Amino acid sequence: MKKLISAVLALALGAGMLAGCGGNANTGSSAPDNSAAPSSSDTAPAGDKTLNLYTWQGMFPQEVLDGFTQETGIAINYANFDTDENMLARLEAAGGGDYDVVIADDYIIQTVIAEGLAQKLDTAKLANWGNIDPVFQGQFYDPTNEYTVPYGSGVQTIVYNPALVQKEITGYGDLWDETLKDNLAVIGNYRVVNGMALKVMGESYNTEDTATIEAAGKKLLELAPNIRLIKNDNVQDDLLSGEVGAAVMYTSQVTLAMLTDPTLKVVYPTEGVGFGIMGTFVPSKAPHPEAAHAFIDYVLRPEVSAQCFEYMGYYCTNQAARDLINDAYKPFLLLPDNIGETEMIQPIAAAAEEAHNRVWTEFKTACGG
Amino acid sequence: MSKGKKKSAAAWLMAAPLYIFTLVFVLGPLVYMLVLSFLQRAEVWGVTSQVTLDNYKNILTPVYLRTFAESFRLAVTSTLLIALIGYPFGYFMAKLRGGWKRAAMLGLMIPFWTSSLIRLYGWIVILRSGGTLDKALMALGLTQRPLKLLYTYPAVLVGMVYALVPFMILAVYSSAEKMDWSLVEAARDLGASAPRAFFTITFKLTLPGLLSGVILTFIPSMGLFFIADILGGNKVVLVGSLIQDQLNQAHNWPFAAALSVVLMALTSLMIWFYRRVTHVKELEGIL
Amino acid sequence: MKKDRSLFPRVYLAVVLGVMYLPILLVVIYSFNAGRLSSVWEGFSLHWYQVLFKDAAIFEALRNSLVLAGLTCLAAAVIGTLGAVGMQRLQSRTKAPMEYLSTLPIMIPEIILGMVFMAFFSLLGLPFGMTTLVIGHTAFCIPYVFMLVKARLVGLDKSLAEAARDLGAGEARVFFDITLPLVAPAILSGMLLSFAMSMDDVIISIFVTGVEVNTLPIKIYSQIKFGVTPEINALCTLMLAATVLLVLLSDLIGRPRRRRGADREKKQEVTQ
Repeated sequence: MKKLISAVLALALGAGMLAGCGGNANTGSSAPDNSAAPSSSDTAPAGDKTLNLYTWQGMFPQEVLDGFTQETGIAINYANFDTDENMLARLEAAGGGDYDVVIADDYIIQTVIAEGLAQKLDTAKLANWGNIDPVFQGQFYDPTNEYTVPYGSGVQTIVYNPALVQKEITGYGDLWDETLKDNLAVIGNYRVVNGMALKVMGESYNTEDTATIEAAGKKLLELAPNIRLIKNDNVQDDLLSGEVGAAVMYTSQVTLAMLTDPTLKVVYPTEGVGFGIMGTFVPSKAPHPEAAHAFIDYVLRPEVSAQCFEYMGYYCTNQAARDLINDAYKPFLLLPDNIGETEMIQPIAAAAEEAHNRVWTEFKTACGG
Repeated sequence: MSKGKKKSAAAWLMAAPLYIFTLVFVLGPLVYMLVLSFLQRAEVWGVTSQVTLDNYKNILTPVYLRTFAESFRLAVTSTLLIALIGYPFGYFMAKLRGGWKRAAMLGLMIPFWTSSLIRLYGWIVILRSGGTLDKALMALGLTQRPLKLLYTYPAVLVGMVYALVPFMILAVYSSAEKMDWSLVEAARDLGASAPRAFFTITFKLTLPGLLSGVILTFIPSMGLFFIADILGGNKVVLVGSLIQDQLNQAHNWPFAAALSVVLMALTSLMIWFYRRVTHVKELEGIL
Repeated sequence: MKKDRSLFPRVYLAVVLGVMYLPILLVVIYSFNAGRLSSVWEGFSLHWYQVLFKDAAIFEALRNSLVLAGLTCLAAAVIGTLGAVGMQRLQSRTKAPMEYLSTLPIMIPEIILGMVFMAFFSLLGLPFGMTTLVIGHTAFCIPYVFMLVKARLVGLDKSLAEAARDLGAGEARVFFDITLPLVAPAILSGMLLSFAMSMDDVIISIFVTGVEVNTLPIKIYSQIKFGVTPEINALCTLMLAATVLLVLLSDLIGRPRRRRGADREKKQEVTQ
């Protein structure tokens, strides 16, 4: 027995010691890296040597981050959050500090600005400001474009595999069809899914009338037998592997799915399309505002931007980058003309929010049983 | 006299770090949570200082009550399965000799050192339609077409059992390993049958381990929402998933706090009840 | 008959372990997949290992996780063991509620623990980073050590320690010479559990981590959100290989001494 223990102990200790060494090396590593970088470059802002970037995983190709560091000598800490709400909670806990550049969804940015956690951008430091596609500016969360730079946009669409679905799908209403039994995947956002029922009923995503929301909930219960899967991430995998025949998904997932299997069909629902923009902002007490502006400007460069959008798979929000995007990606990265009517999902009153919540839990439970 | 005092002083000294840590970093946050559960959420973001019982009243809505019932059902089922699989494993492992014992222990520990999220993804590869299991079954001629195994209730059960069974095994092993086997031998020498010797001696002596294993598996299985998400396609709604939704989507922290308070109260109650029913004194040493 | 009985446990252990390794085996296999999707086999390739070795962020996350798990399991072992041993001898009305409180962190869904930790740490003004991570992880690891040591103490003969005390041994001496060796297996299981739990924790870490500390599970979790690339499979394969290697290595180093120690070991087991 002693032997076993010593073996396991050695293992634990070994790992601990390795970790200890690694840790020391680690803390020291960022400084030498910086001094070694070509800081002579004239684009390098004085002072800031690091940048704390806070967004979802997979928003920037490594080459873009490395390119920025090489050019400016500013090292990037890429920190991730998994939901907008977690981001805001962390940002609030840090009092608007800690982070230099944050990229998040439209509706949460409205709250961020209302809570005073974002600072106004200094457009004089953004030489490439003019590259922004004005279609994506002046929206509800930042009507005067003082706080944000859009970084990608997307819609929620239906994608289906004609080989696995008998019916031709043109809108959300078709998803209720009996032939889709146990064959449909939807994203796990309750405003989007409840919104499908609202749209079928001809209502707005942003209705605050609880009776309407409850009615949408009743309608959703009829959809439950068709639901095989509710998930936010990687839905395209399930569509591609034939686990489901149809799925409601985000633009980046549509891009991934279509690039892998061009026989799939993309539908912009006739009832209207949910539309969203991701915005870049600088927190109110960002420790390195200079570096933050330098980074935002760098990403606005046409060639850098094109690289980012090809990597992310969202609609391009940079008009100067459009022509640089690889032709294979173009159909998915440029906002299509046939998209029809769009509506953005906005924050609503707490009572309506709670009704959505109840409806959503009821729906999920119905799907399981 | 002075010896008794010294003894108690030493005991206090040893327990002090635990007392301090627990008071500051466990009780503190919990009190905060309790307070939060009585506050009103703000219209858009955050919490107001208004005191209310609404969060608790909200839990009594049928749909949320049903979530609690479902969570309990899943936790009970998976704990039973885990005990059925894990107890013999821990027991047999403790009875192994020398090299075999070491091999089994290490065999058990190695999966533990790989990410549980990744292991769950391994199960997706197995259960997916047309996945490893489907292929194997079809090759054997047992099924003709892919079964839709993934994103079902049994898939969630498999995930729960898989993720939690090592806790049961280690707990049972820990108490079986220190057991005095000569007692069993003595009973056998005195003419007791093998099953009788097992139930009167071995089982009794390993019961603390089993119970500690039950607690170690039952409680997490109420909150492991990501298993329900990944393997159940998010269709099995656990209290854990509900809390997660409140935090991540609805941003209703007071309701999330109220749900947690109720969940904690229920699990504490169950443990107390379990202790009463089984009359095992030793369990007092565990919780 | 006798042979059957000795065979069945081994078969059982082998079967259960086999099932446990099945998903891991698949993860390993798909790390050599040429394609990006971990659902379709597209041929053998080492491509994802190349990608992995270029990914400095992953290795930094791994280092952070190892530091964190090491510190956490040490802290949990010290606090948990001392607490269990001390409390066993305490006669105080605070004992029962304190025991209950200290084991509470494993009764709380992780997500709520993460949430209250975050709110509470910012209330205390602690800077988010390694410190908060270690505190958070230690809180949910102490119960494992505490419960295991406690369970072990219950089955132990108290008279040994008392005899030593009667013979004039000091408290420290009794603790280090008698109690500690007796509860060592429990401490060790507790530490291992703690290390593994800490290495694997996502939810609490997300809430209490700072800007500059990304742990490996957070990295993996966000990768999964984004789409599991076989890069993560490759990483897990390497970690698995390292674990197995360490185990075998320590086994080899320890082997020569084993013969001599065997008798002593047996004797000890009997006296226990």
